[in-house]
Amino acid sequence: MTATTQRPVTAPAPPPAASAPRARRTARRRRLTACGVLMTPFFALLATVFLVPVGTAVYLSFYSDDQPGLGFGPEQTVFVGLRSYAAVLTDPTFLGGLGTVALYCLVYIPLMVAGALALALLLDSGVVRLRAWAQLGLFLPHAVPGIIAALIWLYLYTPGISPVVDLFARADITIDFLGLHTVLPSLVNIALWSNLGYNTVVFYAALQAVPREVIEAAVVDGAGPVRTALQVKTPLVRASIVMVAMFTLIWSLQLFTEPMLLSQSSPMINSRFSPSMYIYDAAFTRNNYSLAAAASVVLLVCTIALSYGVTRLTSRTDSAAREAR
Amino acid sequence: MPGRRSRRSVLAAMTAAPLTGAVSACSGGGGGRSRSTSKTTRITFWSALRGSREVVDAFNRTHDRVQVDFQQIPAGGQGGYAKLSNAARAGNAPDVATIEYPQVPGFAIDGVARDITGLLSDALRARLLPQALGLTTFQGRTFSVPLDVEPMVLHYRADLFERYGFRVPRTWEEFAELAAAVRRRAPERRLALFPTDGMPHFAAWAWQAGAHWFDTSRGAWNVSLADAPTRRVAAYWQRLIDRGDVFANGVESRQADAQIGDGLVLTRLSGAWDAGAQMKARPAQKGRWRIAPLPQWDEKRPYVGTHGGSTFAVTKDCRHPEAAMEFIEWQVSHPDALRARLSSGTSSQYPAASALVAVGREAFDRSYYGGQDIYTLFRQEAAKIRDGWVWGPRMSATQKVMQDAFARVGAGQGSLVDAVRAAQDGTMPDLRALGLTTTQHST
Repeated sequence: MTATTQRPVTAPAPPPAASAPRARRTARRRRLTACGVLMTPFFALLATVFLVPVGTAVYLSFYSDDQPGLGFGPEQTVFVGLRSYAAVLTDPTFLGGLGTVALYCLVYIPLMVAGALALALLLDSGVVRLRAWAQLGLFLPHAVPGIIAALIWLYLYTPGISPVVDLFARADITIDFLGLHTVLPSLVNIALWSNLGYNTVVFYAALQAVPREVIEAAVVDGAGPVRTALQVKTPLVRASIVMVAMFTLIWSLQLFTEPMLLSQSSPMINSRFSPSMYIYDAAFTRNNYSLAAAASVVLLVCTIALSYGVTRLTSRTDSAAREAR
Repeated sequence: MPGRRSRRSVLAAMTAAPLTGAVSACSGGGGGRSRSTSKTTRITFWSALRGSREVVDAFNRTHDRVQVDFQQIPAGGQGGYAKLSNAARAGNAPDVATIEYPQVPGFAIDGVARDITGLLSDALRARLLPQALGLTTFQGRTFSVPLDVEPMVLHYRADLFERYGFRVPRTWEEFAELAAAVRRRAPERRLALFPTDGMPHFAAWAWQAGAHWFDTSRGAWNVSLADAPTRRVAAYWQRLIDRGDVFANGVESRQADAQIGDGLVLTRLSGAWDAGAQMKARPAQKGRWRIAPLPQWDEKRPYVGTHGGSTFAVTKDCRHPEAAMEFIEWQVSHPDALRARLSSGTSSQYPAASALVAVGREAFDRSYYGGQDIYTLFRQEAAKIRDGWVWGPRMSATQKVMQDAFARVGAGQGSLVDAVRAAQDGTMPDLRALGLTTTQHST
C-alpha cells in the first residue's frame, strides 16, 4: 500500500532534456539492477522452499479427494472448507501431541538457556583452563547430525543393549530410560547434549563484545565474580538470550527426529507423539493428505504466533526497562 | 512371528527404519511394470508371506502363458503397506499385492485395490469360505481374494499342562480360573500373555464375543469400538492383568520371545498360521505344543474370531488383470500352491478354499505337534467364525492408537476400556477428514 501511494511523489518523470537527471536515473537504474540481482537468489529460494510449499499445504487443507458414503466409489477433488481443520482440532491425539511439545518446551528451553549461559559465563570468567579445548568439546556434539545423535542415545537407553543400564543394574538400580515418565526427560537430554555447546558459543561470542571497562568498573566497585557475571554481564547479552530462546522454541516445536527414532524402541513414544510426527503419520501411514496439511498449517500458525509473542513481550519489557532507567 | 533380535540387528533396524519410506518411494520403478512379449505375459507380485517364493516357482514351472516376478517385501506394519501406498501413488504398484484383511477396506477406499467383482469367476467364488469373502466385499463389490482364513485357536504347552495336571480350558471362565491356578502352582509362570501390541488379538476376542467395531449396513461407517461385547472382553482381561494372572507386554518383543522360549508362558492365543511360525521360530520345542479350540463364552453357541490371514488384490496399475487373476486363482485354490507353501516348512496357513484342507492335512509335517491332526481342528474352528465382522477404513491407524493405550495399561496407567475409547476418538477425525459418512451408534 505504502509503495503505491509513494510512487507519484518519488518518481515524477522529469523532462528527458536535462542531462543531470538522466545520469541520476542511470545510477538509480544501476542500483536497482544490482539490488535485483543480489536479492533474486533470496526471493527465488524463499518462493521455492517456503511460499510454494506453504501455499500447497493451505490448498491441500481446503481440498480433498472425496468419495461419498462408504468411500468405495470413484473419487473427485472437492472443496471441503474447514472440515480438515475441524478434524485436526477435535483429534485428541493431535491435541495430546501439542501438549507433549508444550511440556517439552517448558522443561527444555529454561534448562538450555540457563545451562548454555552458565557455561559461557564460566568460559568467559577465565576459570576454565584450556578454554579452546573446552569450547571444542562442548561444540563437537552439535556437529553430529541429529539422526546419528538419536541413534547413539537410543543405544545408551535401550535395556539389554545399553552399557549404562547394565552398569546401573549391577549397582542394583533398575532404571528404564524409555518408561512412561522418563521418556520426556530422555528426549530433553538428547537435545541438551546436541545443542548446549552451540548455544554456549553464541553466548560466549556475545560476552566477548561486552566492554572490558564496564567489567573493570564493576570489579573496582567491589563486585565479586558471581555478581559480575549475573548482574553485569548477563543483562548486557540480553539480546542474545532472547534470540537463543526464540530459535530453541522454533526448533522444539518441530520436535521429530529424536522421538521418531526412539519410538522404534519404546512403546511410550507413539506414532503421533509430537505434532510433526502426527503430520508424518497422517500423510504417510494414514494417506490422509488434507488432514496432514491442515495439521501443518495449524503448527505453522502456532509457531508464528509464539515467535511473535516472544518478540513482542521482550520488546515491551525492553522499553519498560529503558523507561525505568 | 516374534524373532530373536541380536544387538546388531536391532541397531540395523533402527538405522533402516527412517529410511524405508524414502527408499521405497523410489524403488518401485524397476520391477513395478508389467512387461509382455508376444507369448508370455509377465506380472509382478509383492508379498511378505512365508513360502511365497516356493509358490511362485511352482507356478512358473507349470505355466507358460503367464510368468510371475516375485518380490519379497517387508511385512505390512514394518513398511510393506507404506511401500505399496507409495508405489501406487507413483503409478507403479505391482500387478498383484498381498493385503491382510484389516487393511482391505483402506486400500479399496484409496483406489489401490481394484474392484475385481467382474473378474472373479463363479467357480472360484463358490470354493471360498463365505465368511472370508465377506471380509473383502463391500456394497456387493469384491476388492480382493482371500488366501487363508485364520480362526483363533489355543496353542498350549501339553508337557507343562501334564506336569501340573491342568486341563485344557473350554470356557473363558475356566481359562480365568486356570490362570490363577498357574500362578499359584508355578509363581514364575503365567497361563497367557496379554499382548500390549496386539490389537489383532484383542479384535479376535471382541469379534468372538459379538462386537461390531465397524458396520456399513446402513450406508455409513458406524464406528463403535467400545460396544457392549468389547467392554465385556476388556473387563475380563483387565481383571486378569490387575490380579497379575497374565503377563502384559508386547508379543512381538524379545521379552515375549524369552517368555515363550523359556516356557514361562503356557499358552499362545493366536491364529492357525502361528503353528507354522512357532515351528520356524523355536525348533527346540518340538513335541511340546498342542493346539485346542479357543475357549468359549457360551459352549452351546460357539463362535471364534479370526487372527491374521491375507488376501490378494489386483492393483489399479495392473495392465493384465486377467493374467493377474489367473495367478491369484491358482494360488488360492490349486493343491500344488498349498503344497509348495507348506513345503517351506514355515507355514501352517488354513486355506480359505475349503477343498484344500485335505491337501494341507497331508502336506503338513505333524511331528512338531506330536502327530496331532491340526488341520481337522482348524476346519472345525473355521466353521465357527462369527458372521458380520467388518474391518475399518483406516485400520493401521486405529490399531496404533489402541496399542499405544494398551502399552500404557501394561505400564500400569489407564484401563483397556479407556484404550478402546481412545482408539475410537483417534479414528473418527481420520474418517471425517476423508469425507466418509460416519455415525457412532453403540450398544
